[in-house]
Amino acid sequence: MNLEETIRALFDANVEFVLIGGAAMQMQGSAHLTEDLDFCYSRSAKNLERLARAMAPHHPRLRGAPEDLPFRFDAATIKRGLNFTFMTDLGAIDFLGEVAGVGDYAAVKKNSDLMAIFDMDCLVLSLAGLIRAKEAAGRERDLEVIPELKGLLDLRKRSQK
Amino acid sequence: MTPNQKKRALRLIAQPPRGSDLAKAKKFGVDLTLLFENLLLTPTERARKLSSGAKAVQSLRQAGERYRSKK
Repeated sequence: MNLEETIRALFDANVEFVLIGGAAMQMQGSAHLTEDLDFCYSRSAKNLERLARAMAPHHPRLRGAPEDLPFRFDAATIKRGLNFTFMTDLGAIDFLGEVAGVGDYAAVKKNSDLMAIFDMDCLVLSLAGLIRAKEAAGRERDLEVIPELKGLLDLRKRSQK
Repeated sequence: MTPNQKKRALRLIAQPPRGSDLAKAKKFGVDLTLLFENLLLTPTERARKLSSGAKAVQSLRQAGERYRSKK
């Protein structure tokens, strides 16, 4: 996984995105480890084009699908789908049009924090947003990180008083 | 984090207020000292840590796979 190169590819192509999932947890201070990158992306027509253009050089292919399965990652394909799980030359990357418990890109953006990562201003899902998303996902692996996220939010609030 | 915030955070992780989410996290088994250390980092430092952690996990997994395939 290459966070810097991935964010740079999206940033340089002016893709509207928010970092979510395990990487967002770590960016918010969690000690959780993750191997993939998850992003929520805007479904505007312009953004679909930009996302396809940004990812093309990194050869996105569907994760867990037969290698000979024909797949073309372009704006039309993104428009027909919503959530995509890819293996790319940059590692495993997921693009979600909606985040359970939070909503679509506009709602996710509202629940995000702006962080300067490397030399880029990047939106990262907030701790409160991450907690809502994990609660809504409801799988065991999601639920078990909630005490840490709530503890982190509590620590941040109380220490900043 | 300002020096005062750092002091407060250190006090909090040593003695989380009873019934707080911080206390619940500690009881659940969360290492609060790791959270504290992470909060001291800048976003870019956290991003670097994230990438190196992912590489380490991947290397360990590959080593495990090699070991199992030799067995």
